[in-house]
Amino acid sequence: MLAGRSLFGGRSFSDVALHSASTACASAILLMLVALVVVLFIAAAPSIKHFGFHFLVTSEWRPNPLPVLKLGANGKPIRDPITRMKVVDHYIPPNFGAVASLYGTALTSALALVLAVPLSLGAALFLVRVAPGWMVAPVSFMVEFLAAIPSIAYGLWGMFVLGPWLGGDARWIHFGFIPFPAGIEGWLSNILRHVWGLRWLAEQNVNGVNVPISTTGRDIFIAGVVLGIMVIPIITAIGRDVLKNVPLAQIEGSIALGATWWQSCIEMVKFSRSALFGAVILGLARAAGETMAVLMVMGNSMTIPTSPFQPGTTMAATLAGEFPEASTNDLYRGALMEVALILLIMSLAFNIVARYLVVGKSSRSAMAH
Amino acid sequence: MLANIHIARAKLISRIMRVVCVGCAVLIVGTLTLITGYLLAIGIHSLNWSFFVNLPQDNPPGMRNSIEGTIILVALASLVGIPMGMLAGVHLSEYESNSRLASPVRFVADVLAGVPSIVVGILGYELLVVPAGTYSGWAGALALAFIMIPIVARTTEEMLRLVPGSYREASIALGATKARTIVSVVIPSATGSIVTGAMLAVARVAGETAPLLFTAVGSPYVVHNPSKPFPSLTLRIYELSNEPSPEARAQAWSGILVLIALIFVVNLGVRYFTRPRRTHR
Repeated sequence: MLAGRSLFGGRSFSDVALHSASTACASAILLMLVALVVVLFIAAAPSIKHFGFHFLVTSEWRPNPLPVLKLGANGKPIRDPITRMKVVDHYIPPNFGAVASLYGTALTSALALVLAVPLSLGAALFLVRVAPGWMVAPVSFMVEFLAAIPSIAYGLWGMFVLGPWLGGDARWIHFGFIPFPAGIEGWLSNILRHVWGLRWLAEQNVNGVNVPISTTGRDIFIAGVVLGIMVIPIITAIGRDVLKNVPLAQIEGSIALGATWWQSCIEMVKFSRSALFGAVILGLARAAGETMAVLMVMGNSMTIPTSPFQPGTTMAATLAGEFPEASTNDLYRGALMEVALILLIMSLAFNIVARYLVVGKSSRSAMAH
Repeated sequence: MLANIHIARAKLISRIMRVVCVGCAVLIVGTLTLITGYLLAIGIHSLNWSFFVNLPQDNPPGMRNSIEGTIILVALASLVGIPMGMLAGVHLSEYESNSRLASPVRFVADVLAGVPSIVVGILGYELLVVPAGTYSGWAGALALAFIMIPIVARTTEEMLRLVPGSYREASIALGATKARTIVSVVIPSATGSIVTGAMLAVARVAGETAPLLFTAVGSPYVVHNPSKPFPSLTLRIYELSNEPSPEARAQAWSGILVLIALIFVVNLGVRYFTRPRRTHR
């Protein structure tokens, strides 16, 4: 015991052991972030060196070299006299650009938020201002359970249930006698084609002729809807907590001044707007980083479609879908790693902003109490 | 007169918006009921005993190896992730006063909890799969642990903070060392909530697919050696979803059902641990 004291400066061995173990584990969390950034950066280096800034502004994603044929004087390809094969003049090297993935991520996330934010805020207001006491716990449980369902379940559901219902031509399905609209994308594009200025959203150019898009049930729009359903529980749960923390005096004050129920709700939302915005950003971060559900309903084409009713890709889906093919090719792998790095930096930025808004606001209002 | 119209309008809008709010809640709960109802109805359809005891290549095919694989992966991840997360949480809550580490660690833990899981999978590939030269269960389990640590750390910290300071003071006044106080007084009085945090983290990683895609990769066999490619329920479901046959699809639905049932049980367990206790003051 005495020896122990002199060795550890008056503290017992177990004290020192627990302190150093817990400090080590806490530092490990810092190291984890450093490892994430450093490893991805090193792995992305070939692509960063090779493409530089162009990676962020080009959309062409071509892992294989493109052959350019040797043309004769008449402009037709020359054929090898013996093998009768067309002669290749030179190859255009592979090219990678992140714009298609960035575009898909932005569009699906935006669609998800358009769907989720009003619904979630409405449900959060319901939980805080309307629901009778006995109803709050079960509804909250359901919302939180919706958040706990794994993304692959949403993916499977989107792939086999939601996709086929939303996609395809406008039609009716019948439950017994009750007709029910199906092919929502078909209905939407029928409407959009008759709205001046939005025609391009519902048409595609085939050999110079604009034809209506035939939707398949695997496209950006459906990915947006699935993501919307996935982020609803996040925004609802955080929004409920945020609204619950609005001081009662704020509500009572506005009602005492003659505000209607809805006007006092608006006051609540205004009061906690930055924390609610943080909740929305957390939802956005989830939507932008989601992999499996998007991979399964997106159709995965490395292009920038003109219409949301066409297949596309997101950063996360690109990573999951292309990584197995890229492991042998350094430049290809580097390009994917650069996409991963962009995704990481983006999600870090979203989370930092959201944390500042949600935590910062609540600690400020706690101080005001 | 004009004022009356304005008031009437405001009241009407208020009523409408109230109904809209109720509608939002109904729609969300309805969607959940629809999704889970569908999963239940379809999943139960092809769920039978052989699903739990057969292998994918048997007839009728089953998912025994994948279910075992997920349980082993999550257990290994928990063995690494829960102690590390808890220790980090202890540091944040108990040693914060004499440490400049706490606030950056708290910040980074929050930020890490939001990192897309596919990125974690890629880190596992670069750090563990490439040097080892093979996909492995270890890589998958450690990728899952990576996701667990920040979650467990933050929940542990939050829960330990709720333990009244007087407990600590009483323990130290009785002559206990700081470590003894933490291990015998602080942690036991928050055990229930710490278990909750750990179980939520377990539920979260049990359903993860993306971090396993390039680490564990999956396997059609019963594998108990984590240094080999490892099967997992989620990976198998993803594989099946890409197969065209209706039998594969039915299997995938059943797999989802088993997965959700696992997560649901964990969630109910969490509710049980966090239920308000009347005996508490």
